[in-house]
Amino acid sequence: MNERPDGVRNREIRQQPDSVCTRNARSKNKQEACIHNGYPAILRAAVSLGFALSVAVVSIFFSSTASAQKFRPDDPIWKDEDTLNIPEPKPGTVADYYDFLENTFFGPGDERRVRALNINTVGEVPASSWFTNRHGRTPMTVDELVRGPDRGGPSREKRWQVIRNKLGGITPGFRVVDATGTTYQLKFDPLSNPEMATSAEVICTKFFYAIGYFVAEDYLVSFSSDDIELSPKAQFVDLTGKRRPMTVKDIDEILLRAYRGADGRYRAIASKFIEGSPLGGYRYYGTRPDDPNDIVPHEHRRELRGLRVFSAWLNHDDSRSVNTFDTLVKGNGSQFIRHYLFDFGSTLGSASVFAQKPRAGNEYLWEPGPTFKSIFSLGLWVRPWIRVDYPNYPSLGNFEADFFQPEKWKPEYPNPAFDNMTDEDAFWAAKIVMCFSDDQLRAIVKTGQLSDARAEAYLTETIIKRRDKVGRYWLNQVNPLDEFRVEGSTLAFDNAAVRLLKGVAAADSYLVQWHRFDNHKQTQEPTGSKITSKEPRLDIPSAAFEGSSDGVGHYALLEITTQSRHYPSWARPLRVYLRKNNTGVAVVGIERD
Amino acid sequence: MKTLLRVDWIGVALQASIAIVVLLASAILPAFALAQDAPLTRQEELRQQREAKSRSVKPYKPGSLEGGALYVQKERLLERFAEGWKGFHPVLGGMSTGSGFAGGVRYEKGFADGALSFKTSGAISTRVYQLYDLSFGAPKLLGGKLSLDFYSRYRSFPQEDFFGLGPDSRKQDRTNFAQEDSLFDFTLGWNWTRWLTTGARVGYLQTNIGRGTDKRFPSTEDLFSPADFPELIQQPNYYHADAFFRIDYRDEPRNTHSGGFFELTYKYYDDRKLNLYSFRRFDADLQQFFPFLKKKRVIAFRAHTALSDTSSGQSMPFFMMPADSGAIALRGYREFRFRDRNFIVMNLEYRWEAFSGLDMAIFGDAGKVASRRRDVNLKDLESDVGFGFRFNTIKSVFLRIDVGFSHEGTRVFFKFEPAF
Repeated sequence: MNERPDGVRNREIRQQPDSVCTRNARSKNKQEACIHNGYPAILRAAVSLGFALSVAVVSIFFSSTASAQKFRPDDPIWKDEDTLNIPEPKPGTVADYYDFLENTFFGPGDERRVRALNINTVGEVPASSWFTNRHGRTPMTVDELVRGPDRGGPSREKRWQVIRNKLGGITPGFRVVDATGTTYQLKFDPLSNPEMATSAEVICTKFFYAIGYFVAEDYLVSFSSDDIELSPKAQFVDLTGKRRPMTVKDIDEILLRAYRGADGRYRAIASKFIEGSPLGGYRYYGTRPDDPNDIVPHEHRRELRGLRVFSAWLNHDDSRSVNTFDTLVKGNGSQFIRHYLFDFGSTLGSASVFAQKPRAGNEYLWEPGPTFKSIFSLGLWVRPWIRVDYPNYPSLGNFEADFFQPEKWKPEYPNPAFDNMTDEDAFWAAKIVMCFSDDQLRAIVKTGQLSDARAEAYLTETIIKRRDKVGRYWLNQVNPLDEFRVEGSTLAFDNAAVRLLKGVAAADSYLVQWHRFDNHKQTQEPTGSKITSKEPRLDIPSAAFEGSSDGVGHYALLEITTQSRHYPSWARPLRVYLRKNNTGVAVVGIERD
Repeated sequence: MKTLLRVDWIGVALQASIAIVVLLASAILPAFALAQDAPLTRQEELRQQREAKSRSVKPYKPGSLEGGALYVQKERLLERFAEGWKGFHPVLGGMSTGSGFAGGVRYEKGFADGALSFKTSGAISTRVYQLYDLSFGAPKLLGGKLSLDFYSRYRSFPQEDFFGLGPDSRKQDRTNFAQEDSLFDFTLGWNWTRWLTTGARVGYLQTNIGRGTDKRFPSTEDLFSPADFPELIQQPNYYHADAFFRIDYRDEPRNTHSGGFFELTYKYYDDRKLNLYSFRRFDADLQQFFPFLKKKRVIAFRAHTALSDTSSGQSMPFFMMPADSGAIALRGYREFRFRDRNFIVMNLEYRWEAFSGLDMAIFGDAGKVASRRRDVNLKDLESDVGFGFRFNTIKSVFLRIDVGFSHEGTRVFFKFEPAF
């Protein structure tokens, strides 16, 4: 992980030292006032010694911090141990309307476009309670992709017991308990769009799981009225929060709003309750003040910034705090918080209870620029997305790829982590997106069990097209070299854009400068002059490791720009750090500008 | 000066020497420490940061604005507001145009699984307009085909405007009168299809007229002679019978972007009290909405005409005559600016979406009143233009602000309902 750059705002972390300092300053003045009011000289000397020693300790701390190594012995780390035992946190709620107002009008979080703070030294996201790079790091099989987070599904041994109506969200539904005592939330399709919300939910659950997020287990189920029964203890909670015993009529009324197939069966998503104690959603900025493991401001987490790319791909316009979920996971005598994404009903062409609005993904709910342009032009200025035509597939809603521009895609309202996304974050995410092959996408789309084969084919084709657009744009905004590896005395590398995109010509050449790198001082000194190579393979000059050792090894730095007639952004510098010690030479750092 | 006199020079020297030693040590120690200690691992560094944070964990405390929003959400205040309290709901607006801001309470209750409904409400405005009503109905009999409804209403509108009759009435002849009536209606409707309804209504209407309470203008009887308007002295009570035919295929009746609404109504008012004011009236209300650009733009057109006639020896009281100006007719004129036995009015609006919660509109209105049916034509129309803001949800316009301009001035209307 990178160190936190000085001055990066983290509300919770920042406020703490300020208040402590203020208190200390006040008490110090009081002490000095006391000292000058008649204590013996020896006592004054002792107090002075104590104070001076404190100053010395702080000086040592800061001087050692200032000279901290860029690379630590265990870099790059691949697991962030953020599951340390924590005290009992308090459950909370993200206020839905406030979240909209705050993010739309106040722009919370640290808005400086600094490099993501939770990445390792080679620019990857270590596994954590937030994210585990699954398909992007170790390709999953089709079976694994299709299974996603699912581990069984509701038991059919007995009738499902309906225990409560669904609270929150806009889709109709209720909670059931199966024969094993496991609780599921059943959610249905709107009458106007059979199969739409349920297929979107199950498909995108698989995608976001494969990408690396923690998601709920979602099962596509079909049942008839005979498969459910009212639990004697079932409760109905109305809109105002009042509880009363649930009745069969309540179930009937909920089912009246659900699409029922020609076979008389209802199609639903059975969403398994997430393991652990619910703590409410997380915000896309700051940290949880009650979670010691949560030390990186969320707006600077790579996987939350990169979520913008994944959300754009799959049109997850509802990617906001309300659709996140923290749970307290307990086990082996300890407890920690795990962070989930959930509710993918408003993805692809679905807006859960109706087809997605054309605005979704193209404009925030409130955006002053287009609004005033529209008002003052008397509507003569037409938002470009209004002219987009969607094919008529009720089971898909409104989803398309031709107008889609990944860099311009927007969620329902601003998201601080999305706003902080850098080209490097997007490159990281786009590489994961491009890991999904056509066949794998096809297999995942099939899990949506769309009865219209043409709709299924269109959906697959659209996801593929959007995937390619995501890759074509974001992989070409930075120097796309990757897969750096030491092979004997050479450094070999690859070009992600050429490897993952069709029809992208290889680079013309590479402009290379080697440096000795002092890990303590974080200084570099060129060795030799710049060279041009036409091959993705460079001899590592031994002189590059002639700098001083940090006790772990000697370091070399390679600065490389990629020359291409077609992609000027490839010329953006990329730095690769190598460490040499008695175990050999290894890549320990990668930084993209 | 006192402080200087108390300086302990020995203590100062001692402190200074200790400080020098310690500062020297602080300059040397870091290098010493770095040379001696093994480098900190990344994992250890992170662990230390987490340990440091664990010493100061605290629950999240929302700010006042967020706390308020959370309270509203947790207590479900918006839902409770919408749901009402034990069947009681707040009422905003809904009174006659020009009545000022109106508010009140509505009580609503369903019986027999929604087969029967009961509603009653009371509202009062800043200009002391009052309206109380009560209805009891069976809206979905015979599988939704048949609806029955009983409706009764008492209203007291103390300063309704009257400018005289006809298209040539003068703006400066503005007067006001108090209107009070009680209505008892029974309606039967038959829904042939989802969009076609026919029905009939019978009822009893008791009317009363008094002095207007708006002191800025004369009361009607002070300017207009009871000889010309005998209904100022004596008011009729009516039995009435209506028949209506309605086609309604609008996409959302309270926030329409496409479809149409066509209603024809024939009414007969029989003055059983004085046998002087019986009349017949035919209304045609035609609305059509032409959407384009995915319903983000709409051309909305409305034509509304009312034609009245009386048998010989009968006349129509002015307060029962239709008026063609106001919030949904000629919006550049004062409400009830033109009255007569017949009228025609046309509204054309171009509406466009500013953002998902606001539609804008520019509009033009034209219309006229006439005492004779044959004068109801498109000649010599009064007209106006204007613009409007329509704050909306998907299903309804909840606030409409229209600004109309005519040769008689500028009018601004705030309404809690759509234009049409």
